[in-house]
Amino acid sequence: MTDQAPAIFIALEGSSFAAAIRQSLWLYPAANVGHIIALVFFAGSVAVMDVRLLGGLAATAPGRVIGRARWFAIGALAGMAMTGFLLFAAEASHVSLNPVFQLKLALIGAGLVNVGLYEFGAKREVEGLPPGAIMPARARIVGAVSLLVWIAVAACGRSIAYF
Amino acid sequence: MIRAITFFAALALLSGAALAHHGWGSYDAGKPVTVAGPIVTSKFENPHATITVRGTDKVWTVTLAPTSRMSSRGATEKVVAVGNNVSAYGYPSTVEKDEMRAERITVDGKTYELR
Repeated sequence: MTDQAPAIFIALEGSSFAAAIRQSLWLYPAANVGHIIALVFFAGSVAVMDVRLLGGLAATAPGRVIGRARWFAIGALAGMAMTGFLLFAAEASHVSLNPVFQLKLALIGAGLVNVGLYEFGAKREVEGLPPGAIMPARARIVGAVSLLVWIAVAACGRSIAYF
Repeated sequence: MIRAITFFAALALLSGAALAHHGWGSYDAGKPVTVAGPIVTSKFENPHATITVRGTDKVWTVTLAPTSRMSSRGATEKVVAVGNNVSAYGYPSTVEKDEMRAERITVDGKTYELR
């Protein structure tokens, strides 16, 4: 516990909820494993969407592939958020001050803004495209940004323990 | 395209393998220390159990192992309870003042390997 963290994170770490996570023999490691399993599904579904936006998997209709993969991504992201919150709560005061964790949160924000850019922009151009069609430039940019941002998020997550 | 995907997959796997081990980079393995004395406080908690030990010069914070490993190696909550005399061999932190991570601890003549 560090008293330099914002009060809300000190309170979170001091809560009986966080203490229960730390004191359970299996809860923390289970959250750790769960976070990775959710990551596997998230990374897989995001990669399918991004590769399709970049013009790969060209034999498929982009709108249909992305529409299906999106539900996997949303479910997996929810799983990551839940398990991630358990891991965060156990050490909230230190982790909230960790520069790599802060960068990770900012990158997640950027990734979600990028999703918004697709939903309210490129999506209209992509949805009706037949298999094999050339992908619009806006869609390619969103796909490339998404791939880079989520890889950076994963790298940050893995690096929190080293800073 | 397939070549590009293969490249990214290989990159992700390689970086994952390189980072998969918890590196403990912020501890100076070149300057091992042994801290011996009574345990002042004890937290048998995840992600790592920690104790504070009144050494000859100062009170050290000693970072141990995850609770499941502690238990499986025999270093239970009772072994690292407040008041017990412990000798901890490990590496001093280069970041946190008066903190070290223990490679092994000895309590009541019994040594517990923590790595």
